[in-house]
Amino acid sequence: MQGSEERPGRAERSADPEGSTSDVHRRRFLRRAILAIGAGITAALGIPAFAFVTGPSRTGVDEETWIRLGSTASIEPGAPPTLIKATVLRRSGYLTEEQEISVFVTSETGTEFTVLSNICTHLACRVRWVEEQEGFFCPCHNAVFGPDGAVVQGPPPRPLDSFESMVEDGQLYFREA
Amino acid sequence: MASRLSEWFDERTGWRGSWTAVFLRKIPKVNWAYTLGSATLFVLVLQFVTGILLTLYYVPEPQQAYASVDYVTNELPFGWLIRGIHHWGASAMVLLAVLHMVRVIAYGAYKYPREVTWITGVALLLLTFAFGFTGYLLPWDQRAYWATVVGTEIGAVPPLVGDFTKDLMLGGDEISGLTLSRFFGAHVWVLPSLTVLLVAIHLYLVVRNGISAPPKRNE
Repeated sequence: MQGSEERPGRAERSADPEGSTSDVHRRRFLRRAILAIGAGITAALGIPAFAFVTGPSRTGVDEETWIRLGSTASIEPGAPPTLIKATVLRRSGYLTEEQEISVFVTSETGTEFTVLSNICTHLACRVRWVEEQEGFFCPCHNAVFGPDGAVVQGPPPRPLDSFESMVEDGQLYFREA
Repeated sequence: MASRLSEWFDERTGWRGSWTAVFLRKIPKVNWAYTLGSATLFVLVLQFVTGILLTLYYVPEPQQAYASVDYVTNELPFGWLIRGIHHWGASAMVLLAVLHMVRVIAYGAYKYPREVTWITGVALLLLTFAFGFTGYLLPWDQRAYWATVVGTEIGAVPPLVGDFTKDLMLGGDEISGLTLSRFFGAHVWVLPSLTVLLVAIHLYLVVRNGISAPPKRNE
Protein backbone atom coordinates (compact mmCIF):
# COMPACT_ATOMS: atom_id res chain seq x y z
CA MET A 1 0.00 0.00 0.00
CA GLN A 2 2.51 2.60 1.12
CA GLY A 3 5.27 4.18 -0.98
CA SER A 4 4.56 1.90 -3.88
CA GLU A 5 5.42 4.58 -6.47
CA GLU A 6 9.08 4.01 -5.69
CA ARG A 7 9.07 0.31 -6.36
CA PRO A 8 12.44 -0.82 -7.72
CA GLY A 9 10.97 -2.52 -10.80
CA ARG A 10 9.37 0.65 -12.11
CA ALA A 11 12.40 2.81 -11.42
CA GLU A 12 14.70 0.41 -13.24
CA ARG A 13 12.46 0.14 -16.20
CA SER A 14 12.26 3.87 -16.77
CA ALA A 15 16.03 4.24 -16.30
CA ASP A 16 16.87 1.48 -18.74
CA PRO A 17 14.17 0.85 -21.33
CA GLU A 18 16.07 -2.06 -22.89
CA GLY A 19 15.91 -3.90 -19.59
CA SER A 20 19.26 -5.38 -18.77
CA THR A 21 18.30 -7.08 -15.52
CA SER A 22 16.50 -10.40 -15.34
CA ASP A 23 13.84 -8.90 -13.05
CA VAL A 24 12.79 -6.49 -15.78
CA HIS A 25 12.76 -9.26 -18.40
CA ARG A 26 10.55 -11.35 -16.16
CA ARG A 27 8.29 -8.42 -15.45
CA ARG A 28 7.87 -7.62 -19.13
CA PHE A 29 7.33 -11.26 -20.02
CA LEU A 30 4.63 -11.65 -17.40
CA ARG A 31 2.92 -8.43 -18.44
CA ARG A 32 2.80 -9.61 -22.06
CA ALA A 33 1.70 -13.11 -21.09
CA ILE A 34 -1.18 -11.71 -19.04
CA LEU A 35 -2.22 -9.41 -21.88
CA ALA A 36 -2.05 -12.26 -24.41
CA ILE A 37 -4.06 -14.65 -22.24
CA GLY A 38 -6.60 -11.93 -21.48
CA ALA A 39 -6.96 -11.13 -25.17
CA GLY A 40 -7.34 -14.84 -25.94
CA ILE A 41 -10.10 -15.30 -23.38
CA THR A 42 -11.88 -12.15 -24.53
CA ALA A 43 -11.81 -13.34 -28.14
CA ALA A 44 -12.85 -16.89 -27.21
CA LEU A 45 -15.92 -15.51 -25.47
CA GLY A 46 -16.47 -12.33 -27.50
CA ILE A 47 -16.69 -13.91 -30.96
CA PRO A 48 -19.28 -16.57 -29.96
CA ALA A 49 -21.13 -13.87 -27.98
CA PHE A 50 -21.36 -11.71 -31.10
CA ALA A 51 -22.71 -14.62 -33.15
CA PHE A 52 -25.14 -15.45 -30.32
CA VAL A 53 -26.50 -11.91 -30.06
CA THR A 54 -26.78 -11.29 -33.79
CA GLY A 55 -28.11 -14.79 -34.66
CA PRO A 56 -31.81 -14.00 -35.21
CA SER A 57 -30.98 -10.64 -36.84
CA ARG A 58 -29.12 -12.35 -39.64
CA THR A 59 -32.07 -14.33 -41.01
CA GLY A 60 -33.73 -12.42 -43.85
CA VAL A 61 -37.43 -11.93 -44.57
CA ASP A 62 -39.05 -14.52 -46.81
CA GLU A 63 -39.62 -12.69 -50.08
CA GLU A 64 -40.33 -15.69 -52.27
CA THR A 65 -43.68 -16.92 -50.99
CA TRP A 66 -46.79 -15.69 -52.76
CA ILE A 67 -49.34 -14.32 -50.30
CA ARG A 68 -53.01 -14.63 -51.22
CA LEU A 69 -55.11 -11.46 -51.04
CA GLY A 70 -58.45 -12.92 -52.14
CA SER A 71 -60.73 -12.78 -55.15
CA THR A 72 -60.00 -10.23 -57.87
CA ALA A 73 -63.77 -9.68 -58.19
CA SER A 74 -63.77 -7.62 -55.00
CA ILE A 75 -61.54 -5.00 -56.61
CA GLU A 76 -63.53 -2.69 -58.86
CA PRO A 77 -61.68 -1.19 -61.83
CA GLY A 78 -60.93 2.49 -61.23
CA ALA A 79 -62.03 2.39 -57.58
CA PRO A 80 -59.94 4.13 -54.88
CA PRO A 81 -57.15 2.02 -53.31
CA THR A 82 -58.59 -0.78 -51.18
CA LEU A 83 -56.81 -1.89 -48.02
CA ILE A 84 -56.64 -5.69 -48.04
CA LYS A 85 -55.44 -7.70 -45.05
CA ALA A 86 -53.65 -11.00 -45.34
CA THR A 87 -52.57 -13.31 -42.54
CA VAL A 88 -49.20 -14.98 -42.79
CA LEU A 89 -47.31 -17.32 -40.49
CA ARG A 90 -43.98 -15.89 -39.42
CA ARG A 91 -41.38 -17.79 -37.46
CA SER A 92 -39.49 -15.79 -34.87
CA GLY A 93 -37.10 -17.88 -32.83
CA TYR A 94 -39.03 -20.75 -31.26
CA LEU A 95 -42.44 -19.15 -31.90
CA THR A 96 -44.51 -19.33 -35.07
CA GLU A 97 -46.91 -16.43 -35.00
CA GLU A 98 -49.74 -15.25 -37.18
CA GLN A 99 -49.01 -11.84 -38.56
CA GLU A 100 -51.37 -9.52 -40.36
CA ILE A 101 -50.03 -7.76 -43.43
CA SER A 102 -52.02 -4.98 -45.12
CA VAL A 103 -51.53 -3.68 -48.66
CA PHE A 104 -53.36 -1.22 -50.88
CA VAL A 105 -54.65 -2.67 -54.12
CA THR A 106 -55.82 -0.70 -57.16
CA SER A 107 -56.73 -1.65 -60.66
CA GLU A 108 -57.49 0.50 -63.70
CA THR A 109 -58.58 -2.31 -65.97
CA GLY A 110 -59.70 -5.16 -63.69
CA THR A 111 -56.99 -7.41 -65.09
CA GLU A 112 -53.83 -5.53 -64.12
CA PHE A 113 -53.34 -4.88 -60.42
CA THR A 114 -51.06 -2.56 -58.45
CA VAL A 115 -50.14 -3.67 -54.94
CA LEU A 116 -48.71 -0.89 -52.76
CA SER A 117 -47.18 -1.22 -49.32
CA ASN A 118 -48.99 0.71 -46.58
CA ILE A 119 -45.69 1.35 -44.78
CA CYS A 120 -44.44 4.92 -44.98
CA THR A 121 -40.93 5.03 -46.42
CA HIS A 122 -39.92 7.72 -43.92
CA LEU A 123 -40.06 5.93 -40.55
CA ALA A 124 -42.41 2.99 -41.14
CA CYS A 125 -45.71 4.33 -39.74
CA ARG A 126 -48.77 2.98 -41.56
CA VAL A 127 -50.36 5.26 -44.16
CA ARG A 128 -54.11 5.56 -44.84
CA TRP A 129 -56.00 6.57 -47.96
CA VAL A 130 -57.79 9.93 -47.70
CA GLU A 131 -60.43 10.03 -50.39
CA GLU A 132 -61.10 13.80 -50.33
CA GLN A 133 -57.45 14.58 -51.01
CA GLU A 134 -56.81 11.61 -53.29
CA GLY A 135 -53.64 10.64 -51.46
CA PHE A 136 -52.07 8.38 -48.88
CA PHE A 137 -51.59 10.25 -45.60
CA CYS A 138 -49.06 9.34 -42.92
CA PRO A 139 -50.09 10.50 -39.44
CA CYS A 140 -46.60 10.54 -37.94
CA HIS A 141 -44.92 13.38 -39.87
CA ASN A 142 -47.64 14.59 -42.23
CA ALA A 143 -46.31 12.90 -45.35
CA VAL A 144 -48.59 12.61 -48.38
CA PHE A 145 -48.19 10.11 -51.24
CA GLY A 146 -50.13 10.25 -54.52
CA PRO A 147 -52.44 7.44 -55.71
CA ASP A 148 -49.48 5.84 -57.52
CA GLY A 149 -47.35 5.99 -54.35
CA ALA A 150 -45.19 8.96 -55.41
CA VAL A 151 -44.15 11.42 -52.69
CA VAL A 152 -46.33 14.56 -52.79
CA GLN A 153 -45.37 16.20 -49.56
CA GLY A 154 -43.25 15.64 -46.45
CA PRO A 155 -40.05 13.84 -45.51
CA PRO A 156 -40.26 10.38 -47.20
CA PRO A 157 -37.11 9.66 -49.25
CA ARG A 158 -38.84 7.48 -51.87
CA PRO A 159 -42.30 6.43 -53.10
CA LEU A 160 -44.34 3.74 -51.36
CA ASP A 161 -42.96 0.26 -52.10
CA SER A 162 -44.84 -1.54 -54.82
CA PHE A 163 -45.05 -5.34 -54.79
CA GLU A 164 -45.07 -7.93 -57.52
CA SER A 165 -48.54 -9.38 -58.07
CA MET A 166 -50.07 -12.37 -59.85
CA VAL A 167 -53.56 -13.66 -60.62
CA GLU A 168 -54.33 -17.38 -60.53
CA ASP A 169 -57.82 -18.92 -60.67
CA GLY A 170 -59.39 -15.53 -60.00
CA GLN A 171 -57.31 -15.05 -56.87
CA LEU A 172 -54.86 -12.18 -56.41
CA TYR A 173 -51.44 -12.91 -54.94
CA PHE A 174 -48.45 -10.73 -54.12
CA ARG A 175 -44.96 -11.23 -52.79
CA GLU A 176 -42.60 -8.92 -50.97
CA ALA A 177 -39.90 -9.10 -53.63
CA MET B 1 -0.14 10.10 -27.51
CA ALA B 2 -1.13 7.23 -25.23
CA SER B 3 1.04 8.56 -22.41
CA ARG B 4 -0.41 12.07 -22.81
CA LEU B 5 -3.91 10.64 -22.69
CA SER B 6 -3.15 8.61 -19.56
CA GLU B 7 -1.56 11.74 -18.05
CA TRP B 8 -4.75 13.72 -18.86
CA PHE B 9 -6.92 11.12 -17.15
CA ASP B 10 -4.58 10.69 -14.21
CA GLU B 11 -4.63 14.42 -13.50
CA ARG B 12 -8.42 14.32 -13.35
CA THR B 13 -9.09 10.90 -11.83
CA GLY B 14 -5.93 9.83 -10.01
CA TRP B 15 -6.35 6.38 -11.55
CA ARG B 16 -2.62 5.57 -11.36
CA GLY B 17 -2.74 5.75 -7.60
CA SER B 18 -5.65 3.27 -7.53
CA TRP B 19 -3.94 1.06 -10.09
CA THR B 20 -0.79 0.96 -7.98
CA ALA B 21 -2.74 0.30 -4.80
CA VAL B 22 -4.69 -2.57 -6.35
CA PHE B 23 -2.34 -4.26 -8.81
CA LEU B 24 1.17 -3.23 -7.71
CA ARG B 25 0.72 -3.72 -3.97
CA LYS B 26 3.29 -5.70 -2.03
CA ILE B 27 2.31 -9.25 -1.19
CA PRO B 28 4.06 -11.91 0.89
CA LYS B 29 5.58 -14.96 -0.80
CA VAL B 30 2.60 -17.16 -1.46
CA ASN B 31 1.68 -20.32 -3.36
CA TRP B 32 -0.85 -21.47 -5.95
CA ALA B 33 -3.58 -21.94 -3.34
CA TYR B 34 -3.72 -18.14 -3.17
CA THR B 35 -5.11 -17.98 -6.72
CA LEU B 36 -8.42 -19.62 -5.72
CA GLY B 37 -10.10 -16.32 -4.84
CA SER B 38 -9.12 -14.79 -8.18
CA ALA B 39 -10.27 -17.97 -9.91
CA THR B 40 -13.66 -17.67 -8.21
CA LEU B 41 -13.88 -14.01 -9.25
CA PHE B 42 -12.98 -14.93 -12.83
CA VAL B 43 -15.75 -17.54 -13.02
CA LEU B 44 -18.14 -15.03 -11.41
CA VAL B 45 -17.40 -12.55 -14.20
CA LEU B 46 -17.99 -15.33 -16.74
CA GLN B 47 -21.34 -16.05 -15.05
CA PHE B 48 -22.33 -12.39 -15.28
CA VAL B 49 -21.39 -12.14 -18.97
CA THR B 50 -23.03 -15.42 -20.04
CA GLY B 51 -26.04 -14.76 -17.77
CA ILE B 52 -26.65 -11.36 -19.34
CA LEU B 53 -26.38 -12.93 -22.79
CA LEU B 54 -28.91 -15.64 -21.84
CA THR B 55 -31.48 -13.07 -20.69
CA LEU B 56 -31.61 -11.76 -24.27
CA TYR B 57 -33.50 -14.95 -25.19
CA TYR B 58 -34.81 -16.60 -22.03
CA VAL B 59 -38.50 -16.01 -21.20
CA PRO B 60 -39.51 -16.69 -17.57
CA GLU B 61 -43.04 -17.81 -18.36
CA PRO B 62 -44.36 -21.40 -18.06
CA GLN B 63 -45.46 -21.75 -21.70
CA GLN B 64 -42.21 -20.41 -23.11
CA ALA B 65 -39.42 -21.07 -20.60
CA TYR B 66 -38.48 -24.53 -21.82
CA ALA B 67 -38.99 -23.63 -25.49
CA SER B 68 -36.75 -20.59 -25.18
CA VAL B 69 -34.01 -22.63 -23.45
CA ASP B 70 -34.34 -25.28 -26.16
CA TYR B 71 -34.03 -22.58 -28.83
CA VAL B 72 -30.90 -21.16 -27.15
CA THR B 73 -29.31 -24.60 -26.83
CA ASN B 74 -30.15 -26.12 -30.20
CA GLU B 75 -30.76 -23.34 -32.68
CA LEU B 76 -28.89 -20.16 -31.83
CA PRO B 77 -25.28 -19.94 -33.00
CA PHE B 78 -23.03 -20.78 -30.02
CA GLY B 79 -26.07 -20.96 -27.77
CA TRP B 80 -24.83 -24.35 -26.55
CA LEU B 81 -21.54 -22.70 -25.60
CA ILE B 82 -22.99 -19.69 -23.78
CA ARG B 83 -25.48 -21.84 -21.87
CA GLY B 84 -22.85 -24.53 -21.31
CA ILE B 85 -20.43 -22.04 -19.74
CA HIS B 86 -23.22 -20.72 -17.51
CA HIS B 87 -24.31 -24.25 -16.54
CA TRP B 88 -20.84 -25.61 -15.71
CA GLY B 89 -19.70 -22.25 -14.35
CA ALA B 90 -22.37 -22.57 -11.66
CA SER B 91 -20.77 -25.79 -10.38
CA ALA B 92 -17.29 -24.31 -10.77
CA MET B 93 -18.34 -21.34 -8.61
CA VAL B 94 -19.38 -23.60 -5.74
CA LEU B 95 -16.26 -25.75 -6.08
CA LEU B 96 -13.81 -22.83 -6.28
CA ALA B 97 -15.50 -20.80 -3.53
CA VAL B 98 -15.38 -23.81 -1.18
CA LEU B 99 -11.71 -24.53 -2.02
CA HIS B 100 -10.92 -20.83 -1.47
CA MET B 101 -12.64 -21.09 1.90
CA VAL B 102 -10.68 -24.23 2.78
CA ARG B 103 -7.43 -22.38 2.01
CA VAL B 104 -8.47 -19.50 4.26
CA ILE B 105 -9.38 -21.90 7.08
CA ALA B 106 -6.21 -24.00 6.69
CA TYR B 107 -3.94 -20.94 6.79
CA GLY B 108 -5.91 -19.22 9.54
CA ALA B 109 -6.36 -16.23 7.24
CA TYR B 110 -9.77 -15.39 8.73
CA LYS B 111 -8.17 -14.06 11.94
CA TYR B 112 -7.60 -10.46 13.04
CA PRO B 113 -7.71 -8.10 11.17
CA ARG B 114 -9.55 -10.00 8.42
CA GLU B 115 -12.75 -11.06 10.19
CA VAL B 116 -14.98 -8.79 8.10
CA THR B 117 -13.46 -10.16 4.87
CA TRP B 118 -14.30 -13.63 6.16
CA ILE B 119 -17.89 -12.71 7.04
CA THR B 120 -18.53 -11.18 3.62
CA GLY B 121 -16.93 -14.28 2.11
CA VAL B 122 -19.33 -16.57 3.96
CA ALA B 123 -22.26 -14.40 2.81
CA LEU B 124 -20.95 -14.66 -0.76
CA LEU B 125 -20.82 -18.46 -0.48
CA LEU B 126 -24.47 -18.48 0.65
CA LEU B 127 -25.33 -16.19 -2.27
CA THR B 128 -23.58 -18.66 -4.58
CA PHE B 129 -25.85 -21.44 -3.26
CA ALA B 130 -28.91 -19.18 -3.72
CA PHE B 131 -27.81 -18.51 -7.31
CA GLY B 132 -27.53 -22.24 -7.91
CA PHE B 133 -30.94 -22.97 -6.38
CA THR B 134 -32.85 -20.23 -8.23
CA GLY B 135 -31.05 -20.85 -11.53
CA TYR B 136 -31.84 -24.56 -11.39
CA LEU B 137 -35.58 -23.95 -11.84
CA LEU B 138 -35.29 -21.71 -14.89
CA PRO B 139 -35.04 -24.39 -17.65
CA TRP B 140 -38.50 -25.50 -16.42
CA ASP B 141 -38.04 -29.19 -17.15
CA GLN B 142 -38.77 -32.21 -14.94
CA ARG B 143 -35.45 -32.05 -13.15
CA ALA B 144 -35.88 -28.33 -12.46
CA TYR B 145 -39.42 -28.81 -11.21
CA TRP B 146 -38.72 -31.66 -8.82
CA ALA B 147 -35.49 -30.14 -7.53
CA THR B 148 -37.49 -27.06 -6.59
CA VAL B 149 -40.19 -29.21 -4.94
CA VAL B 150 -37.49 -30.86 -2.82
CA GLY B 151 -35.62 -27.61 -2.15
CA THR B 152 -38.65 -25.68 -1.01
CA GLU B 153 -39.83 -28.65 1.13
CA ILE B 154 -36.46 -28.45 2.89
CA GLY B 155 -37.26 -24.78 3.48
CA ALA B 156 -40.50 -25.90 5.15
CA VAL B 157 -38.67 -28.01 7.76
CA PRO B 158 -37.89 -25.38 10.45
CA PRO B 159 -40.63 -25.07 13.10
CA LEU B 160 -42.84 -21.93 13.16
CA VAL B 161 -41.27 -20.16 10.16
CA GLY B 162 -40.94 -23.19 7.87
CA ASP B 163 -44.29 -23.12 6.11
CA PHE B 164 -44.13 -19.39 5.57
CA THR B 165 -40.57 -19.68 4.19
CA LYS B 166 -41.76 -22.25 1.69
CA ASP B 167 -44.80 -20.24 0.59
CA LEU B 168 -42.62 -17.15 0.31
CA MET B 169 -40.21 -18.98 -1.99
CA LEU B 170 -43.00 -20.46 -4.10
CA GLY B 171 -45.17 -17.34 -4.25
CA GLY B 172 -48.15 -19.47 -3.14
CA ASP B 173 -48.51 -22.99 -1.84
CA GLU B 174 -47.32 -24.78 -4.94
CA ILE B 175 -44.99 -24.30 -7.90
CA SER B 176 -46.56 -22.04 -10.51
CA GLY B 177 -45.76 -19.29 -12.97
CA LEU B 178 -45.33 -17.03 -9.97
CA THR B 179 -42.56 -19.29 -8.66
CA LEU B 180 -40.80 -19.15 -12.01
CA SER B 181 -40.95 -15.37 -12.28
CA ARG B 182 -39.82 -14.76 -8.71
CA PHE B 183 -36.95 -17.24 -9.04
CA PHE B 184 -35.97 -15.44 -12.23
CA GLY B 185 -36.22 -12.02 -10.56
CA ALA B 186 -34.13 -13.24 -7.64
CA HIS B 187 -31.61 -14.87 -9.96
CA VAL B 188 -31.03 -11.89 -12.26
CA TRP B 189 -31.70 -8.86 -10.02
CA VAL B 190 -31.72 -9.52 -6.29
CA LEU B 191 -28.77 -11.89 -6.00
CA PRO B 192 -26.51 -10.13 -8.53
CA SER B 193 -26.97 -6.73 -6.82
CA LEU B 194 -26.13 -8.19 -3.41
CA THR B 195 -23.19 -10.06 -4.94
CA VAL B 196 -21.71 -6.97 -6.59
CA LEU B 197 -21.99 -5.06 -3.32
CA LEU B 198 -20.40 -7.83 -1.23
CA VAL B 199 -17.65 -8.58 -3.77
CA ALA B 200 -16.77 -4.86 -3.77
CA ILE B 201 -16.48 -4.86 0.04
CA HIS B 202 -14.61 -8.18 0.02
CA LEU B 203 -12.05 -6.97 -2.55
CA TYR B 204 -11.67 -3.57 -0.91
CA LEU B 205 -10.81 -5.33 2.35
CA VAL B 206 -8.39 -7.70 0.63
CA VAL B 207 -6.53 -4.69 -0.78
CA ARG B 208 -6.80 -2.62 2.40
CA ASN B 209 -5.62 -5.30 4.82
CA GLY B 210 -3.25 -7.05 2.45
CA ILE B 211 -3.17 -10.84 2.23
CA SER B 212 -1.80 -13.01 5.00
CA ALA B 213 1.42 -14.97 4.51
CA PRO B 214 1.24 -18.76 4.83
CA PRO B 215 1.80 -19.60 8.52
CA LYS B 216 5.29 -20.85 9.45
CA ARG B 217 6.41 -23.36 12.07
CA ASN B 218 7.08 -21.84 15.54
CA GLU B 219 5.05 -18.77 14.78
